[in-house]
Amino acid sequence: MPGSASSTHRPEGLIERLRSAAADGGEAKLKVLRELKNQIIGNRTKKLSYIKLGAVPSVVSILSSASSSADCLLVQCAASIGSFACGVDAGVKAVLDTGAFPHLINLLSHPNEKVVDAGARALKMIYQSKVAPKYDFFEEKNMEFLISLLDRNNENVTGLGASIITHSCETNDEQKILGDAGVLKKLIDLLGGTTSQRDASLESFATIIKENPEVISKFVGPENGRTWGTLIELTKDRYPRTRLLACVCLILIKNAAPSNLQSVGIRTKLILVLLELLDDPGQVGDEAVLTLSSFIADDEGLQKLAFEANTIDKLCDHMQKELLQAKRLQGIFMTLANLCSNLECCRSIILQSPKALNVVTAALTHASADVRVAACVCLKNISRSVKYLSAGHFMTEAVIMPLIQLLFDTSTSVQVAALCTISNLVVDFTMHKSLFVQSGGVKQLVQLSKSMDSTVRLNAVWALRNLMFLVDSRCKEGIFMELRALTLTSLVCDPSASVQEQALALVCNLVNGPVDSIEYVFTEDGLLLNAVGRQLWSASKHEVLIQGMYVLCNVASGQEFHKEAVMQQLLPQASSEDTQSIMVTMLQSDVAQLRTAAVWTIVNLTIPTGAGALARVVKLRNAGIVSQLKNMVNDPCLDVKLRVRTALGQSMTFGDFST
Amino acid sequence: MPVRMVESPAPSNSSGANPGQTSLQPCSLLSVGQAFSGTQNVSSPQKEEAWRVNVRIQGCDLNHGYLCGTMEALNVPMADTPVVTFWEGEIVDTKNYTFFTNKWKATSEVDIEHWTKFPSFSPLLSQVEVDGGKSLDLSNYQYIFMRWKEQYFVNVGADCGLTIAGFYYVCFSCVDGSINGYYYDPNSSPFQKLELKTTNEGRSGFSFSSYELQ
Repeated sequence: MPGSASSTHRPEGLIERLRSAAADGGEAKLKVLRELKNQIIGNRTKKLSYIKLGAVPSVVSILSSASSSADCLLVQCAASIGSFACGVDAGVKAVLDTGAFPHLINLLSHPNEKVVDAGARALKMIYQSKVAPKYDFFEEKNMEFLISLLDRNNENVTGLGASIITHSCETNDEQKILGDAGVLKKLIDLLGGTTSQRDASLESFATIIKENPEVISKFVGPENGRTWGTLIELTKDRYPRTRLLACVCLILIKNAAPSNLQSVGIRTKLILVLLELLDDPGQVGDEAVLTLSSFIADDEGLQKLAFEANTIDKLCDHMQKELLQAKRLQGIFMTLANLCSNLECCRSIILQSPKALNVVTAALTHASADVRVAACVCLKNISRSVKYLSAGHFMTEAVIMPLIQLLFDTSTSVQVAALCTISNLVVDFTMHKSLFVQSGGVKQLVQLSKSMDSTVRLNAVWALRNLMFLVDSRCKEGIFMELRALTLTSLVCDPSASVQEQALALVCNLVNGPVDSIEYVFTEDGLLLNAVGRQLWSASKHEVLIQGMYVLCNVASGQEFHKEAVMQQLLPQASSEDTQSIMVTMLQSDVAQLRTAAVWTIVNLTIPTGAGALARVVKLRNAGIVSQLKNMVNDPCLDVKLRVRTALGQSMTFGDFST
Repeated sequence: MPVRMVESPAPSNSSGANPGQTSLQPCSLLSVGQAFSGTQNVSSPQKEEAWRVNVRIQGCDLNHGYLCGTMEALNVPMADTPVVTFWEGEIVDTKNYTFFTNKWKATSEVDIEHWTKFPSFSPLLSQVEVDGGKSLDLSNYQYIFMRWKEQYFVNVGADCGLTIAGFYYVCFSCVDGSINGYYYDPNSSPFQKLELKTTNEGRSGFSFSSYELQ
């Protein structure tokens, strides 16, 4: 029969007893401390509740007043404090606020090893939290103390030393001072110890060498045979976490200088070890797949090795097997994304497995934003395959609809990831672009192209540019109606040069295709064409100028009226006679692509069949453009050279004006 | 462009070439979005015949010597609609690919027999006979040699009675964008000639479009 709970078993009762025990004898203190420890151990809710009731200051008060000979009491105090600090930042904060730190440090020099163990464990818990104070390695005293910890013959104390490094070493200078003080060597020595010593040492070893080629070249790497050999050996250790950490260290060494890990055998071995660790259902498996993902990122050679090691099959099997946690899914998608970033063979495998593609697509609606981003990146890299884009593989409702939904996501990083993926998918060559337009995608892309965030704006315009590539006339009209000349004009004049470049490329695609498409830049009194012309006169980035010049080139491939409008942009009547035409500046550019675009525009303007061709040739000659072309007949760029010859040939049909 | 199926096609080998830096310069007439039209002569001893053909470049990666696009055959007798195929091209840049095919049932003799049909190939012949052209520098050459291999039918089933088992030896002129090619398939009529010219879609000049994958 349930009865009323005794007040002594409620947290308030225990706290009361804890406070009064401070005045009591050792036995009473011990009893209540044991009871408290048993209550909170592994129970986050209870920890928070006792912290709120002020249990920590009472425990610290008992610790500070305890005699150094009260070994059991010291152990119980330290254990309780360690438990409060374990995995709960509020606990760490409470422990630090009550001044427990120096008392715990004192315990490390206690003659009883059990007391030392308890003190070291509690301090280790504190250093595993982000809120722990940063250790100053530049204080000589501190470095001496740290080295003394690593030299102790006690795994908890050496583990504490390693935790301090893992927690506090962040800068290159800190890495260097630790290296110079011989810490790396001591950590290597500790690799021969117990499992926990090994893992703690590997973790802090990784912290010291991370992204620091100087430290690596000085202290580790294949030329330091012993270290290298030990790390290689540890990749075969019986404990999964040790194997993972050894791989992490070797990968960090390789990242600092790829020459450090040239052996294909070792590279493949690392991939296989990490793949095998995927079977670990916990944190090790999660971290292993993320480590694999970063290992192969930006390295086509490693991606090839991973492909040959059947990584894709293994990951695809794994992700279809069971309901996976967010972190695991994220790691799998990022690894698949990296594999598909360059290699068509990898994309083919996934695309030929409808189940695998379904898992990726389904993850676009996952509750975790990180997973949604990773699924987008994965799909984006898979869709770099022109072969499958050409087959219309991606332009299906199952893929497109969730992606369009992500454009409304509350997370900006998800929106950007979705925009990047859509940019690729809408290249689609199969005339199914209308599906995207009809599904409301364009409306939201246009909306995002007006975002205050320049990354969102850039990627929205990028997607519209790719959508506009070889689009049919009906869709083109729909997109333009949604965008309007005014929005497009402000994008062409955007403060960001990258947005300008994409917007101009969009306009270029807009006026390509059937000749009447050119009319789009003449709507609203030529608002858009004038904006393009202004950019050509004012922009400095060649990427912007190239796209702007191709817009004029495409317009100049139209009718007489269009050609004259381009002439007006290149040689405005308002400019004084001394003003050098932008065309001459473009032709003199060091960038071959810009010279090519400029000469193509002249080719289009001087096609002899046009009624106004002669007048245009005369104007171009008077502006010094024809003589500039003559200087370019042996341009180092073959493409430019050939177009210059065409342009000059066309100009000459009206007679040589050189005399 | 597909041709009439004579017998079931044998599978082709995949490429084993190592990617490397190309020695070719980009040519704007051979860039994505560019369209070409012309004919393929499919005459047999019994009958003179030519199919109208449209080509569109869809992808170009000069670093890997790769080009791809679609080919549309317009008046194929046994098809109700134009037949569209997707092809992938190997650009002979002497780094990623040489003049020797080494697959698709093409021996070096067959290669030379086809390449020599292009007048622009004759200055290269003697060196190609030695090493497939590996030591040639084609960076300033006004012609680009390629092999185009159709990979799949875009708008009809593989059971349409047509075959894409062969491949084309192609010569592209950087000067005017004209394309000449010869179809090779040991089971089809030899030396079917492909002749294409750049199209301007009713314009008085050249127009360009582009996309950029992320």
